[in-house]
Formats: sequence, structure tokens, C-alpha cells
Amino acid sequence: MAITKAGVRQRAEAAIAIDAVVTEGRSLDWALARADEKLDPADRSMVRMLCFGCLRYHWQLRAQLRMLLERPLKARDSVIESLLIVGFFQLSDTRVPDHAAVSTTVDAARLLRRPKYAGLINAVLRNYMRRNISESEAQDDEARFNHPAWLIEHLRKDWPDHWQQIISANNDRAPMWLRVNGQHMTAAAYQQAHAIDGQLLPGADQALRLEKPAAVDELPGFELGHLSVQDAAAQMAAPWLLAGHPDGVVRVLDACAAPGGKTCHLLELLGADADLTAIDNDKKRLTSIQENLARLGMDATVLAADASKPGEWWNGVGFDRILLDAPCSATGVIRRHPDIKLLRRQEDIHALARRQRQMLAALWALLNPGGRLLYVTCSVLVEENEAVVGDFLSTHTDAREDRVLHDYNIRDLMYDKTPGFQVLPGTQGMDGFYFASLEKVSG
Amino acid sequence: MAKLTILEFPDPRLRRRATDVESVDDTLRQLIDDMFETMYDAPGIGLAATQVDVHRRLLVADVSSEKDDPWALINPVILERDGVEVTEEGCLSVPGFYEEVERSGHIQVRFLDREGAEVEAEFTGLLAVCVQHEIDHLDGKLFVDYLSEAKRQRIRRRLVKDQRQRQHDAAAAL
Repeated sequence: MAITKAGVRQRAEAAIAIDAVVTEGRSLDWALARADEKLDPADRSMVRMLCFGCLRYHWQLRAQLRMLLERPLKARDSVIESLLIVGFFQLSDTRVPDHAAVSTTVDAARLLRRPKYAGLINAVLRNYMRRNISESEAQDDEARFNHPAWLIEHLRKDWPDHWQQIISANNDRAPMWLRVNGQHMTAAAYQQAHAIDGQLLPGADQALRLEKPAAVDELPGFELGHLSVQDAAAQMAAPWLLAGHPDGVVRVLDACAAPGGKTCHLLELLGADADLTAIDNDKKRLTSIQENLARLGMDATVLAADASKPGEWWNGVGFDRILLDAPCSATGVIRRHPDIKLLRRQEDIHALARRQRQMLAALWALLNPGGRLLYVTCSVLVEENEAVVGDFLSTHTDAREDRVLHDYNIRDLMYDKTPGFQVLPGTQGMDGFYFASLEKVSG
Repeated sequence: MAKLTILEFPDPRLRRRATDVESVDDTLRQLIDDMFETMYDAPGIGLAATQVDVHRRLLVADVSSEKDDPWALINPVILERDGVEVTEEGCLSVPGFYEEVERSGHIQVRFLDREGAEVEAEFTGLLAVCVQHEIDHLDGKLFVDYLSEAKRQRIRRRLVKDQRQRQHDAAAAL
């Protein structure tokens, strides 16, 4: 009979998940959900830590692997390469004792049903320590910056003075931000009431950055709908869209709304009489909007609909406010999704930008005169941000940029673009977001 | 001392029912030592003679983390059992698969020790589970037999594929 120690299972599952991202092109979320089915809840955080670390430092760790392996392993044994990477990461970046890192990683080969690799893994990990490989100089930019070459180039071109800052923030760990439900209290009051160890952010009254990440359902008030998990930059969208809105009913459209974080924030600000329509193209993800609404005790019209084809779903009644949180490269949230660095391709950016232009033009027709559309992405790339909005403004005479902010404290958190504003990842611990507020004038 | 080859599911030899050991002698004690070496190396916590293609009623077990609690049971018979213990079991003959199995949590067993003396002992917890798992082997039974048919067939397909791949690799290496 054989049994598996938890540590061995964690290493094996981490290697399987990393391999699914690296060789099958799966998202890390997908791979972790699959791993969770096989893991005890107690083992999940270790697997996450290993996966995030190995994907963050993917290029550096792969370069180190090439220094120690005479030739790559057979394609069908790629999971063993991922397992070796898991071993390197433990030895170089974690507090796992070296002997435990080696023995659990070696034993994981058996769990992966490749026992013949146990000897090789043992030898490679010992060489890694003996030759001090973790300290070796990076040979190229990909290994030095842990980003694909095309993205380094793209960032360098778009942000000549900030690209290294962006890259370094992308490779950092992201803090956990809460959004306290403004219908109940401010973030400051919540922090005080529950003695939460965290940081407030001037300009974002509902945002609270936790010093240490916590299990969300253990936070006081979560089940009651008093708080949500949402990055502070994402929390700018709803108040910005509604800034200066007259009292009474305003018709609001939240386009590409899943999973509903901003939808709920809009409703918290609008109150019970709100007339809000939330749409998303992905039927499965609509469930997440419904769940979030239910938890917060709120109501909205939720539709499965394509924002670029209003003809299929729009009833002809105009909106006063439209939030377009456009599908994008997510290059502003790489620290939360390090797999983006491996999954995204340069050609994806052009395709995304085309789609963003279609959506913006299509939704513009739905906006009432005097209304506002807030264009938002979690991208840091010019092609998806100011290029989209700039071209839109130059071709639409009834559109002009509205530079009004809901709170001028946020001004210093953003870079002024023409048009729009960019929050870079890592600024006050926030994700990278782009915002452009557009007003419809009589043309 | 010698490391022995462990048969892998679905090898039909794992389905043979073992017969009683007739004499406890040096040859048998050598087999016991080899089985311990094979088990510790695998690494496993129990091994039945059936798994190394010897069809005699003999098993070895050590569930300690320090490898300092070895048990060798010859002609074991379960006299009494009670309680329930659910364990995620794996098997050196079904490498890489682990599934929950429900067994008795407490057993009383009569067997011969490596000197041939008759012993009665009580086992609880993981050791009880392990002894039951190994006695199953002596009766031609595997832990996968407790799983659903679909699960068993999936494991079987995966292992057969692995075995073919290994044969292919071995042939290619020649």
C-alpha cells in the first residue's frame, strides 16, 4: 500500500497546473479550479503560491532549467519540466527548507506516474543548489524581466519612462483590496469597527487595502453584503461614471459586466430606485453577476448580450450613463494573473483593439444627449486605450472628452493621457487601469 | 538483499489467490528482507508477496515515518474487526492513483512472525487499514475493486497506456 504526503501532492498538483498553462494554453484559473477538485482545502494555498511564483518568474526559471538539462525532456513529459521549475522556485524564493523542497519534489514524480524521473530530479535540484544557479546572471531580457520579448518591446514603446516600473509591478504580489458597501458605511468606519489591519486611500472612500490577505467569507459582514473584493483602481469606475448625476432615476448600462463587481458598486451608489441594465456576452459568467447581486441584496436587469451588437437586444430607450469595461489584454493586472504573460500573443492586441472600437461605436448610439460614457480597460497599452478613444473622438463630432473627476484626490494617482487617464500597476498598491470619460454633446 | 519487481495492475498474476506458507525458513526470511527493501524504496507502507509474484500468504508493513516499525505477517487471519476508517489509499501495483476506501478501523489478527512463532495482535488506524489492504492482495483483490466501475476502467486504461509507452521506450533504447 502507498499513501501520499500532503507536501508531495501539493508539488504534483502545482506541476500539473503550470504545465496546463505552459503547454496547453489553459488559464491559471481553469487549472487551479481543476486542482482544487483533487486537493484538501488545507493544501490549496500552497499550490497557489507555487503556481503564481513559477509563472511570475517563468522565463528566469526556464533559463535556469536550460543550464541544468542537457536537452529538453520529451514533449509528453513536459509536466516533469514544470515540476523541476516548482523545485527551483522553492529553493530560490520560498522558506521551504531545502531538504523538504527536494524530497517532496522528487516524490511528486512518482505521483505523476513518472517514477523513472525521480533520480534525474534529485540530481538536477542538487546541482541547482551546489552551483548556486539561482544567483546566476540572466542571459537575455526575457529572463531578466520575466516577460515575453514582444511585451517588453511593447511596454518600452508605450511607456519609455515607466516600462521598467510597470514590469517590476507586474512581477510583484498583489494586495487584497476590499470595497466596503457605501450603503452601510465608509471603509474608514469599517476598518475602525472591526479593527482591521489595513490602509485607506484618499479619493477612494470605500476602499481598504488589507495588510494580509484573508479568506473573504471570514471577514465580518461579507455574507451580509457589507463588502466585496475589488481592487481600488476598479473602484474608481462607478463613482466616476455617476459623478454629478442628478437625483432621481438615471438609466445606466453596465456593458461587459461579469463578474459584476462594478455593477454592484453602481447599485450601491444609485440606491434602490436604480434603473440599471447589466449585460455580458458570456452566459456562464452571468451567473456570477446574479450571485453577487443576491449577496448584496440588489436588483438589476441582467442580459446575455453582445455590447457590439445592440440591435440584438436593445429596446430603443436611451441610457444616461454607460460603463464600457471593455474586454482587453489585461496587461494592467498581470500581478493577479501571471499566466497572461504566457497566454497573450502580440496579434491578440490588434484583435482586441478592433473589438474595443466596435463596442465603443455601437454603444455610443445608445447614449442620450448630455449623457456620459466611461471607457475602461485594465490594459496599459496605448493601442487599447488612448488610440481607441482618440480615434473615436476624431470621428464622432457629438463626442468630447469630459475631464471632470469625481474626486480630485485621485488626480495624483493617474498619468494624464491624451485623451484619458492611466493608473499604472503598483501605484498605491492598485491594479493598472485606463479611464476615459466621454460626454455626448449636440452635434 | 535484492530489490524485487512489483507487478502492476491489470497484470492477471495479481488476481491469483496465495496459499499458506508451509515452513518459515531462511529462504522465506530472505524474501521478507527483500520485500522490505522493495517497499521502502518504492516508497510504500505495505507490500504483499503476491505483488512480487510470490503466491504465498506473506505481507510486510511499516506505517511509521521513521521506518522503525516493521511488521512481517505470515499466514495472517483476521479474527475480529470493528469501527470504520476512511483512507485515501494508493498501491504500489497501481502507481500514481489515490482514492478513498472504507475499511475497519480496528482489527485483531493471528499470524506467524519471522521466527515462525504464532502471534495475536491488534492493529488500529493506518496500520489496520494497511494490513487489510495487503491481505486483500493475498486473496487476489485490489483497492480499485472498491471503486466505481467507471473509475476502475479509467485507471486501467491509463496504466495500460503507461505500460505500453514504457515498453516502447525500452525497445527504442535497445
